[in-house]
Amino acid sequence: MPAEPPSEERQKTPVGADLLIPGAAIAFTLYYFSTIIDSPWTAQVSAFFVGTILLALCLILLVGIARRVARGEANLRFDPLITPAAVVPKRLALFGLTLGYIFFIDWLGFTTTTFLFLMVGMMLLSGWQRNNKRLIVILSAVLSIGGYLLFVVAFERRFPEGPFEDLFKAILSSLTGA
Amino acid sequence: MQEVDFGFFVSLFGHTLSYWWLIIPAIFLGLIVGAIPGFSAANTIIILLPLTLAMGEELGLIFMVALYCSSRMGAGIPAILVNIPGTAGAAATPLDGYPMTKQGKGPQALAISFISSTVGGLLTTIVVLFVMPLIVQVVYYLHSVEMIVVMLFGISLIATIAARDTLKGLIAGFFGLMIGAIGADHVYATPRGTLGFLELYDGVPLIPALVGLFAITEAFLIIEGQSILTDKGKVLLRDARWAETFEGARAALKRWWHIVWTSMIGLVIGVVPGAGAAIASFVAYQQSRTFSKTPELYGTGHIEGLIAPESANNGVTSGTLVPLLVIGIPGGATAAIMLVVMQYHGTTVGPDLFIQQPLMAYGVFSAMAVTYLLMILTVFPLARYMSRVTMVSTIYIAPLIISFTLVGSFVPRAYIFDMYLALGFGVIGYVARRTGYHVAAILIGVILGPLLETYFLRALKMSQGDIMVIFSSKIGNVLWVCLALSLAIPYLKDLHRKRAAMRDALHRGEAAGKSGTEE
Repeated sequence: MPAEPPSEERQKTPVGADLLIPGAAIAFTLYYFSTIIDSPWTAQVSAFFVGTILLALCLILLVGIARRVARGEANLRFDPLITPAAVVPKRLALFGLTLGYIFFIDWLGFTTTTFLFLMVGMMLLSGWQRNNKRLIVILSAVLSIGGYLLFVVAFERRFPEGPFEDLFKAILSSLTGA
Repeated sequence: MQEVDFGFFVSLFGHTLSYWWLIIPAIFLGLIVGAIPGFSAANTIIILLPLTLAMGEELGLIFMVALYCSSRMGAGIPAILVNIPGTAGAAATPLDGYPMTKQGKGPQALAISFISSTVGGLLTTIVVLFVMPLIVQVVYYLHSVEMIVVMLFGISLIATIAARDTLKGLIAGFFGLMIGAIGADHVYATPRGTLGFLELYDGVPLIPALVGLFAITEAFLIIEGQSILTDKGKVLLRDARWAETFEGARAALKRWWHIVWTSMIGLVIGVVPGAGAAIASFVAYQQSRTFSKTPELYGTGHIEGLIAPESANNGVTSGTLVPLLVIGIPGGATAAIMLVVMQYHGTTVGPDLFIQQPLMAYGVFSAMAVTYLLMILTVFPLARYMSRVTMVSTIYIAPLIISFTLVGSFVPRAYIFDMYLALGFGVIGYVARRTGYHVAAILIGVILGPLLETYFLRALKMSQGDIMVIFSSKIGNVLWVCLALSLAIPYLKDLHRKRAAMRDALHRGEAAGKSGTEE
C-alpha cells in the first residue's frame, strides 16, 4: 500500500504517471531510429518524419511538467495508477491471473483454461466470499462451454485446443461415425 | 457497374431487411450490453469478433452496425434511471433524464429517449445515404499529398476535440503512428522496430491492439466498484414501471422538429474524426437550451433537455462512418473496429468502394436504417425490462471481458503471441486512460501508421525525393492551414481565458483597494 503523502504534497498535482507514455514513446522512437539508421531512405523517411514530431511533442510536455514541479505546483508521484489503493492488490492479482491464462491456454485449451480463469477471477474479485461460489462455478462452466460450442463447434473458429476439445471431438466423431 | 439511383436504394433496403433474423438478435444484444456502464459498443463488438469474423463480411458488418446503433440507445437506460451513463455518449442524457426519473417519470423518460434515438438515428442515416454520392465525388480530388495532411489532420482533430489535453492527445496519436510503423519496410523488407519478434515483421496486428487498448483496459478499470449501481439506484430500478410509456412517446413525437435539428447537429459533429457522441450530445443540449423559450427548465427534468442529447448521439452513428468509408479514416473507436474487420476481409475503403462495391458501401448505411426501423418495433414494448441489466455485477463482467477478448485476438493468426501483445496494449491503454492520453488516438495512429507511410512514399517518388512536395498542392495547403488553426485555436482561447481571468483578478484587487481606502 502506498504511503500517505503529507498534506502539503497532497495539494500538488501528481504528474509522475504522466511521464510514462512520453517516456515509452521516446524510448521506442529512439530504438526505432536505431533499427533504420542504415536502411535505404524509403524505409526511413516516414518514421523520421513522425518520430521527430513525436520527440518534439514529448519534449514540450516534459518541459511543461518540469516547470510545474519546479514551481511547486506538481510532484512526481504516481497516484493515478495506484488509486484506489484497496483495488491495487486485486488488479495485480487479476493481471497475474491473465498472464497465467495466456501461458496455460496453449496446453489446456480454450474451454478448460477459460473455465478456470473465469472461476478464479470471479472469486478473486468477489473477495472469496462463500455465498456466491456455486453461482460462480456454474456461470464459469456455462460461459466456457457455451463459448466453445458457439465459437468453435458452430462457427468453426480456430481456438487453442487441449484435452477437453480432444475429448469432445472424439465423442462427436464416435457419435457421428466420422 | 451498378447505377446508384433511387431504385438502387429501394432494392438495397429490401435486401438488408431480409437480414432481420440477424439484426433483431443484435439489437437485443446491443441494448443489453449498452445498458451496462463501461460495456461500450466498441467492447461488445470486440468480444464478439470471433463470431463477426466467421460470419463473412456482409453479415459481419450488418451485425456490427446493428450492435452499434442499439448499444448507443441502450446506454441511455442507466443514464435515465440511475444517473450512470452507459457510455460517454450518453453523458448529457441524465441532465434531464434522471430528474424525470426522480419525479416518478422514469418510464416516460425512457420512451422519450427511445423515440428520439430511433427517429434521430433513422433520419440522419437517410440523409447520409442520399448525400454520400456527392461526398464521394469530392474525395476524388484527394491524392497522396492531400491524404498525408488529411491523416495528420484527423489525428490532430482527435487530439484537440476528444482528448482533454491537446498535447497529450497529439502524443498519443503520434505514438500510435510510430507503433503502426513497426514491421518490414515496403521496398527492401528490412525489419524496423520489431523488438526481435518475428511475429511483428508483417506489422502490428490490429485486433490485438484494439482488444488491449479498449477491452482489457476497461476490464481492469471497472473492477474498482463491485457493483455498478448504488443501493438507491437498485431500488429505483426495481420500482420502474411502464404504465405511462405511451405518454412519453406522444410527448417526444409532438416535439418532432426538435428531434430533427438536434439529430442533424449529431450528424455534422459525427463526421468530424474524434468528435464523437459525447461532444455531439453536449453541443446539442447546449444549443437546445440556447434556443429554448424556457431555458430555466433545463436540468429539472425538461423533455427537450432529454430529446437533444439522445437524438444527437444517435445522429453521430451514421456521421462517424462517413470519413471511414470515404477516405479510410475512422471517426472513432467503433468505426476503427469496423475498419479492422473490413481489412481482415480484404476490403479497401475509400471512394472506389462506392463505385466497385456499392452494395457494401451503401449497405452499411442501409443496415443502419433497417436497424433503427426494427428497433422502433421491437424495443419499445420491452423498455422497462431491458433496464434490469444495469444490476449485473462487475465481478462477473471483468473476467468475461478479459478471457473472451483475449481469445478473440488469437483467432485471426492463431498465434499465442497475439494474446500477450493484447495484454501489452492493455497495459499501455490502462496507463493512457489513467493519465489522460486518449486511447482511441493511439489506436487510430496504429491503423493509420502504415497508410501514412504508403502515401508518403508515393508522394516522394512522384517528386523524386523532394520533401517539399507535401506543400505542393492547393487543397493540401488549405488543409495544412486548417490543421494549424485547429491546433492553434484551443491554445489561443486558453491564453485569452487566462488573460481575462488575470484582468478580472486585477480589477477586483483594485476595487477592493479603493473601498479599503474609502473606509
